[in-house]
Amino acid sequence: MEKETVIRIEGVSKYFSKVIANKDVSFDVHKGEIMALLGENGAGKSTIMKVLYGLYTHDEGQIFIDGKKVNIASPRDAIEHGISMIQQHFSLVETHTVTENVILGTVKGKINMSSYNDKIKELCTLYGFDISPQSKIRDLSVGQQQKVEILKALYLNARVLIMDEPTAVLTPQEADSLMEFVKDFASKGGSVIFITHKMREVMSVANRIVVMKNGRVSGIVNAKDTNEKELSSLMMNSDNESIKTSVNAPTGPVALSVNNLSYIDKMGVKRLNDVSFYIKQGEIFGVIGVSGNGQDELAEILSGVINSGTGEIKLDNKDISSLSVRERIESGIGYLPLDRLKDGMIGDMTLSENLMIKESFKGGRWVKNGFLRIKDLKNYTEAKIKEYQVKASGESDLARSLSGGNAQKIVLAREVDAAKKLLILNQPTRGLDVGAVDRIHRIVISQMHEGKAVLLISTEISEIFDICSRFTVMYRGKLMGIYNNGDLSISEVGLLMAGVQV
Amino acid sequence: MINTITGILSSAVMMCTPLFLGAIGEVFSERAGVMVCAIEGIFLLGAWGGFVGAYASGSLLVGLILAVIMGVLMAALYGFVTICLKQQQIVMGTAVNILAAGLAAFFQRVFFGIPTVPLQVKPLSHIAIPLLSKLPIIGQVLFNQNIITYLAYILFPISFFVLYKTSVGLTIRSCGENPASVDTAGINVNRVRFLTVIIAGALGGLAGSFYTIGYLGMFTTGIIGGRGWIAFAICFLGNWNPKGALYGTLVFGITEAITIYLQSTQNIPSIPNEFIIALPYILTIALTVSKRSFAVPKQLGIPYNKEL
Repeated sequence: MEKETVIRIEGVSKYFSKVIANKDVSFDVHKGEIMALLGENGAGKSTIMKVLYGLYTHDEGQIFIDGKKVNIASPRDAIEHGISMIQQHFSLVETHTVTENVILGTVKGKINMSSYNDKIKELCTLYGFDISPQSKIRDLSVGQQQKVEILKALYLNARVLIMDEPTAVLTPQEADSLMEFVKDFASKGGSVIFITHKMREVMSVANRIVVMKNGRVSGIVNAKDTNEKELSSLMMNSDNESIKTSVNAPTGPVALSVNNLSYIDKMGVKRLNDVSFYIKQGEIFGVIGVSGNGQDELAEILSGVINSGTGEIKLDNKDISSLSVRERIESGIGYLPLDRLKDGMIGDMTLSENLMIKESFKGGRWVKNGFLRIKDLKNYTEAKIKEYQVKASGESDLARSLSGGNAQKIVLAREVDAAKKLLILNQPTRGLDVGAVDRIHRIVISQMHEGKAVLLISTEISEIFDICSRFTVMYRGKLMGIYNNGDLSISEVGLLMAGVQV
Repeated sequence: MINTITGILSSAVMMCTPLFLGAIGEVFSERAGVMVCAIEGIFLLGAWGGFVGAYASGSLLVGLILAVIMGVLMAALYGFVTICLKQQQIVMGTAVNILAAGLAAFFQRVFFGIPTVPLQVKPLSHIAIPLLSKLPIIGQVLFNQNIITYLAYILFPISFFVLYKTSVGLTIRSCGENPASVDTAGINVNRVRFLTVIIAGALGGLAGSFYTIGYLGMFTTGIIGGRGWIAFAICFLGNWNPKGALYGTLVFGITEAITIYLQSTQNIPSIPNEFIIALPYILTIALTVSKRSFAVPKQLGIPYNKEL
């Protein structure tokens, strides 16, 4: 069946100073189809879509819409051609209402808010979205916020919808409901371009799959003619065998025990609600949940960054709840924060300096008679770069020059050394490609074998299933029970993540 | 007694006028994400431009126009370095303020030398609004003021309407909260920001001229004396909205009027004159420190980078 071509991308290249982000990318998008753009992180999927949406200007190549060559210099041009993009990070104004967000940039002069509210309400009803036009964005769940982004596109009469990793922030159920919408939209004649690195999603919704690798198109296949194995060989540089460790429940003594931990933040919101669990020595304990359900606060309270929680935290049977961050580091806690660039390292300092940062005080490892042991530190850093296979030219590289995965390895190297007893990891593999994820998992497992207790916070169910022996699900600051790995199926965990008891 | 109070209130409304103009300009630019830290310099050059224009041409209208032009020029310079060149706003603001102080002092000397008698122009006359000015107390306080004050009256509802009821206002408010959302809606963030800074410059220049041709009829290099910064603080204290700015302005205007009154009467010798002069500034610090919650525009002070 020959379908009408809406967009044709021909030989597009995009360079960022010296780096090639896209090279000679060509593909078509048809009317009424769901097209997946599949590839590892950094493969150039988002870049090519940002070119199509006018956020980036391409350096070579041409774009045709409805057979006519077009010049898309800004999102406004893209919108005029009926192209809308749902970014990975929503571009919503949190303090404004749904309606205000949707009509931004589309209205002129005096705004008659109630008539716009009615219009948005109609649109919600048409597509089955359960959103009130007058609610403020900050009061909506992530899934609902994404629907608002989609509403913006629908309001602009988009016929091509680009979605950048739309399910990354959703619970499995929210993701299902999104897929329903995508299919509905395509059946009404729209086209959807779906950027993702999750093969399961691709196989379940896409009609056609464009696979990208290192900024180039490495294959275009029909979903019904392919399988996950073929896709992964198109996607990846080398074969990655996945690690499934045999996770036996450890029998050693309890390292960390947390009892009745609660925390109310400055805005008066209860972020942690009576949280209790323990982790044994040599155990990886998983905490899964959709972002923003109290995991970050849990990590920050355990590491001492937040010190206004109530409840008992014991490390090796000693109460540490009143210790400062520094004292906790000294008692053997390593902490890998969620935002490695913001909280984990200092971008404008060298790798050596970043490795030193937690032990640069009097009595710390890198201080002798009040002076820094620069030479030893440099040797140590070079050794760590080798050991962790960090892609860097040397210890004097600036931290911000590293890619996400390599930066994460540096932070992890420091924290692994600091963690004599307990390693707290907040989404250690977020945004990393398969190779880096694998490497980091191996490091974490080796730490477990050394007898350390590991707290692994994650939003990926597969990560928890791969390396944890026990796990809990967090929802609105509460633990939805503690389970042995293997007790629950993915869909059961998904329900728990959405707050539904199973 | 009634006369004294009427006098104080009337002078309070006068003192409120430039503060309100400056604060409203600041509200617009800060809602779009740019702190106009150059506001003190804009006030000063507005004051100077107003005086020179009026003195040289003999027409107060020319003075007002020149004041606005000076304010816009300073704002354009500040906008260029902070928005187009994406430099740090506080540093650039400080630089522009120092530049403005230097320019005003330099050109004042170049144009007029060191006159033995202070140069003077006849300040804007008060216009009594028919009927309304006859109302007891209120008439004298509110409706017997100069043209700039009446402009400020009109500006309040206009600024409120524009900011909250029009598409322009929605765009401005979004620029300060999440410029990416404005960008993806196809609107040029930096252009919006630049225009709000220009508006702040025009209002700031007009505000500055109030001190020279609206009130004293003369120019000294210290004439603004930190009042630009007070307008800046009022924007913060007023939680970045015109209503708050109005309340904040009233507090400061009344304080300043009382200060002037106390200085002119010798009734309370136990309070040092310097303390009385310092009152508005002490109040600025006290109120800023004591304010608990701020609805700060999220991206205030942060340049917008597209390709990141």
